[in-house]
Amino acid sequence: MCLPVVVTLLLFATQGTPAAPPVHNDTCLACHSGSGISIRTRDGVDVPLQVGIDALARSVHAKVACADCHTAMAEVPHPERTFSSRRDLRLALDAQCRRCHFANYTKTLDSVHQQAVARGDRTAPVCVDCHGSHDVKRAAVPRAAVSQTCASCHEGIATAYARSVHGRALTQGNADVPVCTDCHRTHDIGGPRQAEWELRTPELCGSCHSNAAIMGKYGLSTKVLSTYLTDFHGKTAALRSKQGTTTTGGVVARCTDCHGVHDIQKADDTASPALQANLLKTCRQCHADATANFPSAWLSHYEPSITKAPLVYAVKVGYAVLIPFMIGGLGLQILLHLWRLMANR
Amino acid sequence: MKPTTHSIVRFSGLQRVEHLAVMLTFIALAITGFPQKFFDHRWAQITVGWLGGVDSARFVHRAAGLMFAALLAAHILRLVAEVALGKASLSMIPTKQDFADAVQTLRYYFGATEKPARFDRYDYRQKFEYWGLLLGSGIVVGTGLVLLSPILTARLLPGEVIPAAYLAHSQEGLMAFLVVIVWHIYNAHLSPDVFPFDTSIFSGRISAERMRHEHPLEYERLQPAEAERERTVA
Repeated sequence: MCLPVVVTLLLFATQGTPAAPPVHNDTCLACHSGSGISIRTRDGVDVPLQVGIDALARSVHAKVACADCHTAMAEVPHPERTFSSRRDLRLALDAQCRRCHFANYTKTLDSVHQQAVARGDRTAPVCVDCHGSHDVKRAAVPRAAVSQTCASCHEGIATAYARSVHGRALTQGNADVPVCTDCHRTHDIGGPRQAEWELRTPELCGSCHSNAAIMGKYGLSTKVLSTYLTDFHGKTAALRSKQGTTTTGGVVARCTDCHGVHDIQKADDTASPALQANLLKTCRQCHADATANFPSAWLSHYEPSITKAPLVYAVKVGYAVLIPFMIGGLGLQILLHLWRLMANR
Repeated sequence: MKPTTHSIVRFSGLQRVEHLAVMLTFIALAITGFPQKFFDHRWAQITVGWLGGVDSARFVHRAAGLMFAALLAAHILRLVAEVALGKASLSMIPTKQDFADAVQTLRYYFGATEKPARFDRYDYRQKFEYWGLLLGSGIVVGTGLVLLSPILTARLLPGEVIPAAYLAHSQEGLMAFLVVIVWHIYNAHLSPDVFPFDTSIFSGRISAERMRHEHPLEYERLQPAEAERERTVA
């Protein structure tokens, strides 16, 4: 109960504070719309301070006053400030977004990018690196814009993704496929090598691949998660993520270990490591001495049936009959015994 | 004359130790096995956490499983040796009489006869449980070894044997557990005949009175004089 109150107060504290005397945008643009204005940073670079008026007018912040973001510049002439580099100037302005976008800004503090910033990595992205500054737009309109944004730094991964079954569909305007942020989250982007992330993988892929409405369109099975979980690998992953203790064992195969990560293809694509013909090689990533028969130990996300895995199906049906028959029979004999003892009294 | 109430030796030291060892490994296997089978239940996840994670639970399960396998192997080797030396006791071998006894017991329960079946050293229920345990142990040990060495298995057999063994191992374990909970616990603890605790497998001794009641044929064979005297007194 306390937290929402505090958050609300903080929101009002930041948003509600009136900027002392409101400075009209025209005042600012009188100087900043021209090309002659720049600042020299300590590394000797002249950083232009011209604002693209058209871009600003088209941005989602078209109606935001300059001084709402550039709070320290409300006085003219501005107080003198020095920056070591262009990047330094940009980083200095980052915290300004918090004044309005408090929740998302706070989320970024948990992100792998912010951890890099905290380590002193000055190349790690801050708000404006992804969202733009004066030309700030809706980040996910169109959805493909997200992948392009991430691609500006993660070029190799973005190329692999663009060639994947998801990436190819995205370029064709498909709205069902995941973009970067669907898996990696948006502001609180997690590090992909965190154990917590690894354990979340089946749940993550399962959130779409168990959804009958989406999978139905493409004729894909929704049983991929449940069949994975009943297998040894899936049980291990599920228990490790829910046992409440730090994980002890080595890596256990998750979706991405067999299907690929960013370069994921359809399972019947010749490039897919999950294709039957490629499976032995895929198994050998972990089971180095696996032989030709070994991959068929995995039932390829099929539930056992007469046609798929008849031996497993026979065991399944056999015990489904035997267990109730056995326990029912023994239970009946106990009841009869008790009944006779009562009758004898 | 008062009937004798002394106790008679029923189980050897070796048999008592065997039972205790099987009981303890069985409990360890159940505690470390079922949370894996029922991994999506909260109680299972809590148990696994309590065991220090799925990997340490598996370590204990495998160690106890190998111990269980060793007990089974030792038991079978002993039987083979006894048969080879001509010292084997035939008391656990199912006979026609056991089927007749089962039918008569059911008739007795339904009130079709007033005479309960008269049993020898082991009655048909005890033989059923013994052979069920032996066969079930063969299945869990065999499939357990497959799961312990899937690579070797796939080198010798089709890969599908591995998921079949996985399912059979867990279902056979469940059935064994249910039989123990329902049948064994009833016969050893809850049945009004022995309530609260049939101690004979731990102490090795059974009272003459219970023996007369539950294993009359064996009693008459072992104590013919006493049995005869009681008959004449009666």
